[in-house]
Amino acid sequence: MPVIAVDAMGGDFAPDDVVKGVAQVSLHTEIESLLVGDEQQIQATLDRIPYNPERIAIHHTDEFVAAVDDAGTGIRHRRRTSIMVAARLVAEGRAQAVVTAGNTAAALAACARYFRTIEGLCQVALCGVFPRQTLYAGQDPLALLLDVGASVRCEAADLVRFAVMGSVYARHVSKLAEPRVALLNMGSEENKGGAVLIEAFRRLKNQPSVNFVGNIEGHGLTKGTADVIVCEGLLGNVVIKLLGAMADVVVDSAGTGRRENWRHKLGTFMLESGAGRLRELAAYEDYGGAPILGFDRLMLRLPGRANARSVENAIKVSAKAVCSGVVREIAAGVERL
Amino acid sequence: MFRRYRQRLAPAACAPIVFRWDLDKTYLKTEFDSLRELVRLPFEKAQDKIAVPGVVPLIRGLREAAVHAGREVRIYFISASPPQIAKAIRQKLALDGIEYDGIVFKDQLGHLVRGRFRDLREHVGFKLTELLSSRQTLPAAAIEVLFGDDWESDPIIYSLYADIVAGRVEDEELADALRALEVAPALIAGMRELAHKVARADAVVKIYINLERRMPLTSFRIFGPRLVPTFNYLQTAACLLQDGYLPLAGVGQVAERLISESAYTSAAVINSLADITRRGHLQPRSAAAIRAHLRARGLVQLERRSRLVAAWSRLIRWIDPRPRPVSSPPELIDYPQLVTQWQAARLEERR
Repeated sequence: MPVIAVDAMGGDFAPDDVVKGVAQVSLHTEIESLLVGDEQQIQATLDRIPYNPERIAIHHTDEFVAAVDDAGTGIRHRRRTSIMVAARLVAEGRAQAVVTAGNTAAALAACARYFRTIEGLCQVALCGVFPRQTLYAGQDPLALLLDVGASVRCEAADLVRFAVMGSVYARHVSKLAEPRVALLNMGSEENKGGAVLIEAFRRLKNQPSVNFVGNIEGHGLTKGTADVIVCEGLLGNVVIKLLGAMADVVVDSAGTGRRENWRHKLGTFMLESGAGRLRELAAYEDYGGAPILGFDRLMLRLPGRANARSVENAIKVSAKAVCSGVVREIAAGVERL
Repeated sequence: MFRRYRQRLAPAACAPIVFRWDLDKTYLKTEFDSLRELVRLPFEKAQDKIAVPGVVPLIRGLREAAVHAGREVRIYFISASPPQIAKAIRQKLALDGIEYDGIVFKDQLGHLVRGRFRDLREHVGFKLTELLSSRQTLPAAAIEVLFGDDWESDPIIYSLYADIVAGRVEDEELADALRALEVAPALIAGMRELAHKVARADAVVKIYINLERRMPLTSFRIFGPRLVPTFNYLQTAACLLQDGYLPLAGVGQVAERLISESAYTSAAVINSLADITRRGHLQPRSAAAIRAHLRARGLVQLERRSRLVAAWSRLIRWIDPRPRPVSSPPELIDYPQLVTQWQAARLEERR
């Protein structure tokens, strides 16, 4: 089984929730986790929970990047931070993938410093996952959106490469034989969205390795008609954050009844199981993270508020991706373009 | 260099050493989680019983090391299982090549016949009585290392026993603790009598608890540094090496068995050693010596270190190659309070 380097110090609830997630993985799977962070803090958390030491290694580093740090604070040069060290360990071959719930800029900087961009790629892609309706039994309840912020603007050729990368990832991780790929646009017609999107549409339509289903509008994102949605980083970032904020509104609304008069309270009580399912669906922190694609190594990024369950899921997803050779397949796919 | 290490490790002929082992979940991988498994247990043959990975070479190694050092050694087993399964257990120990000096079973059938149903599940009174009785047959200077698990109440039984023998538990405190543990009044009276008779000595040097249930480590802090919770017998063997009861070769045999028969990987072995070192039970230099030995035997692959780091490590080991036991000064334990805390920890763990 692969070794997954886990940035123990990244995230709002680090290191406690990260370590708890790793402990769960150690008890229930064969995956080995390499926790990177403050050894004393990590061990203090491990002491409080059941774990299997045979599947947990710790690499000590006492520096970490705070959530508020941005690229301007020189995070690229702080080589002893947990995320940088985790990426270095992967580059050295001591682990096969990184999982982090830490600062996005630091994650990208770590990838850029220690990993190599796949040959033929000009832009890497930061992916995001979001819940959507399912059209048939067994369909993955999550869709993949890329890019969500690794770049701002990009060319038509970059969007095609994103489509190839997302398609390969969905094929291996979501186990979809022919993932449906769509281009996020302001209309479903071929000639919408400006020169870049029109050109990207044309190229994707003629791309045999991608199951392109056309343009998708904002309201179609959550309908389950596409498994992989491709867009520029600026747009993707706005969309993924908006979806997250909407999920918060839905969850909050589901609980509003409790604060109202007795009739609302009774109504809320009767709808509790439905509201619970809603909360479960909207709980972004429970998802297994999204990859940064385009490098010769894999990094899975979780939202900052990731909890133990999402860390556990992310480790499992990254192990699955490593075992199925996603990076190798992406490189082959890009080469064929 | 390692020859020198081994020579200095061998303990000098001194006080007799007693290793006491619990049977179920400590020596044997007994499964009694379900009623079906419980019913099947008495009918299991010796060859069907499975030893906990690494325990067999560890017990053999402990005896061999003591004999080699010219030290009197005794190995006892204590089990809350009924004597009806004794034959299969003895056969299993013979199959494993374990030489032992005594084995005690709990007369469950007797309790059943006499209608003492409460006593069927009560192990504290039984084990403590047996330990205290057995202690009286030993030379006063004999020291003991105890092995149990986190399944029942071994940590509390062994700690109580150690402190009774050391004279650190007052008569009333003992009675209070036993009452809190719901031990039958008749047994409490018997144990108080035995506690009075036993020769006072700081005899129990270590208590090793096999974390079969993976109980959180913080649950064991209340027992003090004398009690060492371990996740596998490699960790136990490493600590025993440090205390001078097992040679490096003995640790190697445990690791070899784990790798060859229990599918342990090189990483699992290295991670286990790192874990017990982080927890402060094993000194880094002892861990380094073990890693070097395992590497020399081809059991693990270690990362290549820079020449400078490797030379520095060699120099440190050359200057003082003998691993020192981790100091574990006996702490005074408030047993009635400990019982409450332990029961709360177990309740929490079950939740």
